[in-house]
Amino acid sequence: MILELRSIQKRFGGVVALRNGNLQVEPGEVHLLLGENGAGKSTLMKIVAGLHQPDAGELLWKGERASFAKPADAARMGIAMVHQESLLAPHLSVAENIFLGREPRHPLGFVNRGLMLEQARRLIAEHRFPLQAEWRVERLSPAGKQLVEICRAIQHGSSLLIFDEPTSSLSEAETREVFRIVRALKERKMGVIYITHRLEELRAVGDRVTILRDGETVHTGPLAEITTARLIQHMVGRDMGQLYSRKPLPAGEPLLEVQGVTRRPLLENISFTIRAGEIVGMAGLIGAGRTELCRAIFGLDPIDSGTVRVQGEPAQSRSPREAVAHGVALIPEDRQRAGLATMLPIGYNMTAASMDKVARAGVGIDHAAEAKIAAGYTERLRIRCQSPRQLAGRLSGGNQQKVVIAKWLVRGAKVFLFDEPTRGIDVGAKAEVYEVMDELARSGAAILMVSSELPELLQVADRILVMRQGRISGELPGNTTQEAIMHLAVEGGSE
Amino acid sequence: MTQRLQRLLPFLTLILLFVGLSIASPDHFLSKTNLSSVVRQTAVINLMALGMTLVIISGGIDLSVGAILAMGGLLGTMAMEKGYPIGLGIVIGILTGSACGLVNGLLTTRLKINPFIVTLGTLGIIRGATLIISNGLPVHQIPPAFSYLGEGNLLGVPFVLWVLIACAAAVHVLLEHTRLGRYAFSIGSNEHAAVYAGIPVAFHTTAVYAIGGMLTGLAGMIEASRLMTGQPTAGQGYELQAIAAVVIGGGSLRGGEGSVVGTLIGAFIMGLLANGSDLLGISPYLQQAIIGAVIILAVWFDELRKRRLGA
Repeated sequence: MILELRSIQKRFGGVVALRNGNLQVEPGEVHLLLGENGAGKSTLMKIVAGLHQPDAGELLWKGERASFAKPADAARMGIAMVHQESLLAPHLSVAENIFLGREPRHPLGFVNRGLMLEQARRLIAEHRFPLQAEWRVERLSPAGKQLVEICRAIQHGSSLLIFDEPTSSLSEAETREVFRIVRALKERKMGVIYITHRLEELRAVGDRVTILRDGETVHTGPLAEITTARLIQHMVGRDMGQLYSRKPLPAGEPLLEVQGVTRRPLLENISFTIRAGEIVGMAGLIGAGRTELCRAIFGLDPIDSGTVRVQGEPAQSRSPREAVAHGVALIPEDRQRAGLATMLPIGYNMTAASMDKVARAGVGIDHAAEAKIAAGYTERLRIRCQSPRQLAGRLSGGNQQKVVIAKWLVRGAKVFLFDEPTRGIDVGAKAEVYEVMDELARSGAAILMVSSELPELLQVADRILVMRQGRISGELPGNTTQEAIMHLAVEGGSE
Repeated sequence: MTQRLQRLLPFLTLILLFVGLSIASPDHFLSKTNLSSVVRQTAVINLMALGMTLVIISGGIDLSVGAILAMGGLLGTMAMEKGYPIGLGIVIGILTGSACGLVNGLLTTRLKINPFIVTLGTLGIIRGATLIISNGLPVHQIPPAFSYLGEGNLLGVPFVLWVLIACAAAVHVLLEHTRLGRYAFSIGSNEHAAVYAGIPVAFHTTAVYAIGGMLTGLAGMIEASRLMTGQPTAGQGYELQAIAAVVIGGGSLRGGEGSVVGTLIGAFIMGLLANGSDLLGISPYLQQAIIGAVIILAVWFDELRKRRLGA
C-alpha cells in the first residue's frame, strides 16, 4: 500500500466537504476516483497533495502516518499532481518548467542551463513525448502542458501521481496519448490516482475504482467487477437511464445558414444549415476549427469570404455586438473566462445582454423588473442557489452554465452556439443542460453543439457534422456510431 | 453576522475615529471651523475619488488625475484672468477635465494598452502641457468672488459639501441605476464576458474615463478657488490619495467592486487621520506612514472577508 486514507473529514466554514473519505492506492495501479462535482474528490486530493489539512482521519504514506502542512511537504515525499488547469509558468521553457524550484546548479550557485536542457531532452526522448525542451510553455496545447507536468513529476522521482481530469480539454488522439503514458507510469510501479468525468474512457486505463458521493466513499473495488450503469448509480444515487433522452422534432424553417465561410488557414469553405428545432452536433479533433467556426459566426474573428444568414437575413457580424443583434448567442467553452462575471450577482449576469429589457427609458434600471426576470429563469432552469442575488462565481459548474444560458434566453436569441457546453460539469448536471437544450429546440431555436465527447453527441444531436483540418469532412445521422465519427474526424472522408 | 460586521468595518472605523478625536481634542476637533476645514480639505480628494471609483469598478485605473486637476484649474482660472465670467471659467475647467479623461479612455480602448501605462504616460504629458501653457507660473488675477466655490458657506455649511453631496448622489445613481453603471461593473468583473454579451465595451470604458476626468476638472476648480491661484504644479500625488480612498472603501483594483458610500468613507477616514494628527501634534512625516498603514490594513481585512466568501 503506497497511500491509505482513513475516515478523512474536512469542513469549510459551515460546509462539509468530506465526511468520511477512504482510499487505498497500491504501487503500480491506476486508481480511478469518481464522483459528481462537489462530491469531495478535489478536496480529498488536495489533502493528499498538502493543499488542505484534514479536520479528522488518518493519512498513511507507505504505511506510516503522515501529515502535509504545505504542498512542498507532499512533493518531497513523492506526491505530484497534474492539474486540470495548468499550473506552469507560461513564459518559461519546457525545460525550465520541468526543473522549476529544483534547477541543477553550478558550484557557485548559478543555474546550470546546459545540464538542465540535456536532462530535459533525455527525459522527453525516453518517453517519446511530442515536446522540445526549448519551447515556451505558453505556446503548448493543453495536452502539451499536461505532458510537461508529467515530466516534472517523473523528474522529481514521484511515486504517486494524481491526474485531475487530465482529458477534459483533450481530443481523442491526445487522450489516447495520455493513456499510453499512464500505462507506462504504471509499469514503473508508480501509483496513479485518476479523476475523470468521462465514464466511457475509464476502462481503458483503470484497475480499481473508488466512488465518492456527498463527501463519503460509497464504493471501492476492482473496475472489472462493476458495470458502468452501476458506477453511475453510485455517483448520482439514481439511475442514468431516466436522466435524459431526446425525441427529435420535425425541423422548421432554416434559421442559421452558413455558406462557404472561409478564414485562412483555419476555416475552408464551410457550409451548413440549421433549422428551427434542430440540435446539430459538431465533432472533430482539437484544432479542427470548431471553436474557430463558432467565433467567426459570432463576429469575434473576421472571415475572408462566405456568407452567414439568420432567419434568411444576411448576418455576417464584425463584432459580438452585431451577432447578438442578429439573434446569435455563443456559450463559450471557457465559461469562467468568457461567459460569466463571477464577482457579480446571478441576476446581473442574466440581464447583461438585455439591458433594454430592464432599463426604463433606456437609462434607469428597473431593479424590480430585473429581480423578476432573474427569479423566473432561476426557477425555469432549476438553478440551485440561495437567491438570484448570490454571486455567480459561488455556483457549481452546471449551475454557472445555466446562468450563461439564461443570459441568452432573456435576450431572446434564436441561434445558439454551444461550445463544449458540459465540460467540467458532473453527470447529473450534464443531463440538465441537455434538457435545457432540448427545451430551447422545442421552442423553435436552432442549436449547434460542439463537443469532444462522442457519446454525448450521439445522445443529444439530431445529426452530426464532423470537422477536420478546417473543413467539414462529412455529415452523419444522430444514430451513427463513434467509429463512424472518428473515421471522418481522423481520415477525412469525401470532399 | 461577522460578515456583515466586516463589511461595515470602514464605516465603524470612521465613527471610531470621529468619537476618538472628539474625546482626545474636544475643544478643537468639534469646533465648526475645524470640521468645515476637514470637509473643505477632503472635498477635492473626494471628488476625484468618486471618478476613480467608476474607473476602478470598470477594471481600469487613472494615474493622471493629479495632472488633470492642475490642467483644469489652470485653464479655468486663465479664462477668468482673461475676463470671462466666473461661471464660464468653472465650466472650462470641468470640460478640460472631461477632455483629458476622454483622451485617456480613447487611448486605452483604441490602442488597447493597459490603462496603468496609458495614464502613466498622460500623467507626464498633461503635467508637461500644463507647465508649458503656464510657463511654469501660477495664475493670480482671479475675481475675488471665485473664492466662494471653495471657501463659501451655504445654509451654514461649506458650499463644497453641497457640491460633494450632489456629485456623490449623481455617481451613485449612475452606478446603481443606469446602464452605464451596470456595464462598468460587467466590464470590470469580466471584460471577455462583457464582449461576448454584446456590450459596447470600448464606448462605455471611454465614457467612464471621461466622467472621471469631468469630476477631476471640477475638483481642480475647487482647489484653485481654495488657493485663489491657478497652480500648474497643483495636485501632485493626489492620484494615489484618490486610489487609496477607493480601496479603503472596498473597491478592488481587479475591477467589478466598489461603491460611492465606501469611497466617501475612505476619503473621510484619510481626512480625519490627517486632521487628527495635526490636532494631536503628530508629525506630518508620521502622518504619511499612518495613512499608508491604514491602506494596507483596510485592504487586508477586505481580502480576508472575500477569501472566507470564496472558500
